[in-house]
Order: sequence, then structure tokens, then C-alpha cells
Amino acid sequence: MRALFRRILAFCSVISVLVPAAVWAAGEKAAMLVVVADTRRVTSDIGKYFADLYNTNMWLFAVWAVVLTAGYGVFLGFTMDIIMSRTGLDLKSRKIIEH
Amino acid sequence: MEHSFWYLHMPIAGVEIFWPGLVLIGFSVGTIGGFFGMGGAWMVTPGLNILGFPMAFAIGTDIAHIAGKSMVSTMRHSKFGNVDYKLGFVMLFGTMFGIEIGAQMIMWLERLGKVGPIVRWVYVGFLALISFMVFYDYYKAVQSKKAGRIDGEKGAEGITWYKTLHKINLPPMIHFKTAGFTCSAWLPIGVSFITGILAGFLGIGGGLLRMPALVYLIGCPTHIAVGTDLFEVMISGLYGAFTYTLKGRIELVAVFVMLTGAAIGAQIGTVATKYAKGYGIRIGFGCAVVACMASIILKQYGFDVAAAVVILGAISAICVYIISIMFKGAAAELRDKKERERAAAAFQN
Amino acid sequence: MKKNPVFWCVTLLFLVFCFGPAWAAEVSQGNCISVNDKDKTLTIEEYDLNFTKDKPYGHPTGKNSTYNIATALIGIPPVKGDVLRISYDVKGTERIALKIMNVSKQDLKKK
Repeated sequence: MRALFRRILAFCSVISVLVPAAVWAAGEKAAMLVVVADTRRVTSDIGKYFADLYNTNMWLFAVWAVVLTAGYGVFLGFTMDIIMSRTGLDLKSRKIIEH
Repeated sequence: MEHSFWYLHMPIAGVEIFWPGLVLIGFSVGTIGGFFGMGGAWMVTPGLNILGFPMAFAIGTDIAHIAGKSMVSTMRHSKFGNVDYKLGFVMLFGTMFGIEIGAQMIMWLERLGKVGPIVRWVYVGFLALISFMVFYDYYKAVQSKKAGRIDGEKGAEGITWYKTLHKINLPPMIHFKTAGFTCSAWLPIGVSFITGILAGFLGIGGGLLRMPALVYLIGCPTHIAVGTDLFEVMISGLYGAFTYTLKGRIELVAVFVMLTGAAIGAQIGTVATKYAKGYGIRIGFGCAVVACMASIILKQYGFDVAAAVVILGAISAICVYIISIMFKGAAAELRDKKERERAAAAFQN
Repeated sequence: MKKNPVFWCVTLLFLVFCFGPAWAAEVSQGNCISVNDKDKTLTIEEYDLNFTKDKPYGHPTGKNSTYNIATALIGIPPVKGDVLRISYDVKGTERIALKIMNVSKQDLKKK
């Protein structure tokens, strides 16, 4: 484990050195990439709302994205708990074989 | 407009995505993550990229789905008091700063037009490391079994690097009550900074590195390390989702499709751990990692269809295996339970 | 512990929802005909939504439209011949560009 951990550390330090090096070697010819969502092709109202938001107010879109993702995650977690408790399987006495 | 049944139009990235592949990736991440107890996010970024998402979108979407997935597990752990919030909040600075740097690096690479190849090759290295770890672990387990040792190796006791690191006297010194040690705030901040960069760059939770670092470098008791790591994964997911959205590199539709798949898969995976025996399945896991690595290389050289077939095939194979473990075990358990009830009823009569 | 974050999220959602409906913009896509750096305007020939293999960005409609790009967020600088996607607001008769995406030059599908 100790050796493995040392390898992970070594790997990460190599990456953190190599990636910027590769980038610098490529030189600066940077122009920002702007993406416009094609709202003409979106048919659903909800989809249109979010695509419009993406084009006009990125901050609000970001807040929505985080809140919705977190909220949906919690919703799914609790829904799954309810479903699993109905299967009749004993999930409390799980013996973890190894992590 | 090719609106064939099998392809879903992603409004922001503007690409047509084979949606069963998306569902399969979400489901597999849930199943494999639930079964092996490690995120599984390593297959999402390459998987999404192979399905046709531009690389930056793949990373942003991956990191957002991590945020959704980790919410519930973090809440559970905090209920048991396994999270050292003080440590978590101190590490938050490093994590968020690191993620921002990682994300900025991605955006920069994107401007240079090099994001695809560079992230793919970093992933190849990263997955090579994971598969090496898995196979090495298996090899050691087999060796110690041959030698007659039953409990395997307990490596943690030998490593006391944190004792030296705790001696660093750089203010502010902070005492962490739940974890039970005092050290310079810069130690956890430094560790979380490095894992944050990795998380922001690859779109992963970073637990693979943060967990051992918490135990060996910071000196956290293992159960606190698990909870605190989950807390950090949640924060890094949420912040990552926010910053990648702000940069316009996220596809919400895909996040939701994957989250749904992952939630179902995670239940199957965790239930299956109850019935799984032996180390054999680890080989399957290692093979899935190698297959994922191979498909990234295929994608890099332009064999898109072959890459998709390899990665989707590999993860579905391992999923089917885990599902079969679960169904066999669950059926046996329910049968036993019924028989016990019947016996009890007969006894009462 | 449990009530606070829930309350917070609901309030936030409510606020977001209240401010939500105000945001909308039109989108058009087409071939860049001219860029006027002095007047800060840009003219495209609009394409339709009929995407085919040989015309992946749509077919030309023959309709030209001019945009004010003074305040727009511009990606790869557009030159004549590029296919652009523009999100814009209409103020009176003028089209004010918000974001300009250089579709043909940054082809995301290849990344």
C-alpha cells in the first residue's frame, strides 16, 4: 500500500509538471471558444427555457444547474431507499467483505 | 434533421448522442461504484467523450453528476458523525481553488485546440495506474493466501509520515476535534489543493488520491477519512458543476439521464456486495479499466465506433456479472426467509 | 441541521423562479458576409433548419441580417465565409448580438 501510494503521488506530480509544459510548448494562440445553444432546434418548453438561459444569463443557469442536480440527487436517494425497503431484503446487516 | 429514435439531440453541445449508451454509462457507474466502493467516475469522462461529447463538456457533465450522486451518501455519513466538518471546511479552500485551476487548465487547452488529446493521454496514464493497483492488489492477496496468511496485509500501521508532517509549525495551527489531532492548516489545504486540481482536470471526485492522503499524510482515522472524503467529493462536485456551468461546458440533460441510471445501478451494486465472495471479481474490474483505457486510445486514433463498442461492451459485461450476483443472492435470501417463516408457522401450529 | 439547508434551497428556488421568465433571446445561424469593425456590425446570410450530410449547418435562405456586435461576447474572430451562430435581442429594428459562436472554425464535434 505504501509503495502504491508513493506511485500515485509520483504520477500526480509528473502530470502537474507535464501538462503545463505541453501547453506552453504549444504556444499562445488562444481565442476564447463561445458556445451558443441552438434554441431553434429545441422543441420542449423546459428545454427552451434552459437553452435561453444558457444564451442570456449564465450565472442563473449555473445556479439552476447546481440546485437541480443536488435536489435531483437527494430525491433519487430517498426514492431508492423507499423502493429498496419494499423488496424485503435485509440491508441493515450487510457484512462488508473488504473495501 | 436526423431525428432517429436512437439519437438524442443535446441542445447546448449541439451533438446527437446515442442515448442508450448514456443510460448504460450512468447505470454502470452506479453499479460498479456501488459494488467496489470507489466512484467509478473515471469511466464517465472518457465514455461521454467517446459517445460524442466534446471533451470539456464530458468533464463538466461528469463532475456535475458526481455532485448529485454524492449528496445522499454524504448526508448518511454525517448522520453517523463520521465527518470532521472543521477539517472539511479547511480543506474546502484547497479543493475549490484546485478545481478552479484544473478547470481553467481545461479551458485553456480548449482554446489551444489540444484539450481532447491531452486529457485522453492523461486518462490513459491514470487508468493504467488504477488497473496496476487492482492487479497488484489481487496478486498480493493470492500470494498471502498461498502463504497461509488469512487477514492479508495491514499496511496502514507501518506508515507514520503524518507524525513528521504534524511537526510542521506553520501558523495557523488548528486542532481537529473529531479526527483528534493538531496540525498546520496548510497541510490539509495543500493535500486538498492537489486533489482539487486532479478533480477539476479529469472530472473525477478525487477520492482515489484524497482518501489515502487523509489517512497517511494527515493522520485521520479511517472512518473519519471516509466521511470527510465524501464531504469533499460533494463540495468538489458542486463547485465543479458550478464553475463548469459558468464556463458553459455542461449538458444538463445528460447529467439527469446519468443520475437516474446511477441511482438505480448503485442500489444493485451495494446489494450485490452482500453476496459477493472472493477476490475474483477484482480481475473483472481491472479488465474493465484496461478496456476503458484501450477504448480511449482507439478514440484518439479516430476509431470512434470501435471505441464505443469496446467501452460499452466492457462495462455492460461487468454490470451483467454484478447483477447476476445480486439476483442469485437476493433470490436465495428471500427463499430462505420464506422457508423460515413457513417453518415458524408450522411450529406454531 | 436538516431544516436549514432545505429552507435555504426552497427560498433560492423561489427567487430563481421569480427572476426566470425574463430571460430569452433569439438565435440565428448563417454564413458571415461582412464584418464592419468601425460600426461594430456584422452581416450574415441566414441558414434554415434543414440539416443534411452535405450541408450540416443548414441551407442558405437568401435572407441577410445585420447585427450590432459592440457588446457581444465573441469567440474565434469571425471573418467572411465563416458559419456563425448568434444569440441576439431585438431592440426596435436593431438586432443586438449577445454571443457569437464561430461554428465552422471551432467545430466542437471533433474535440
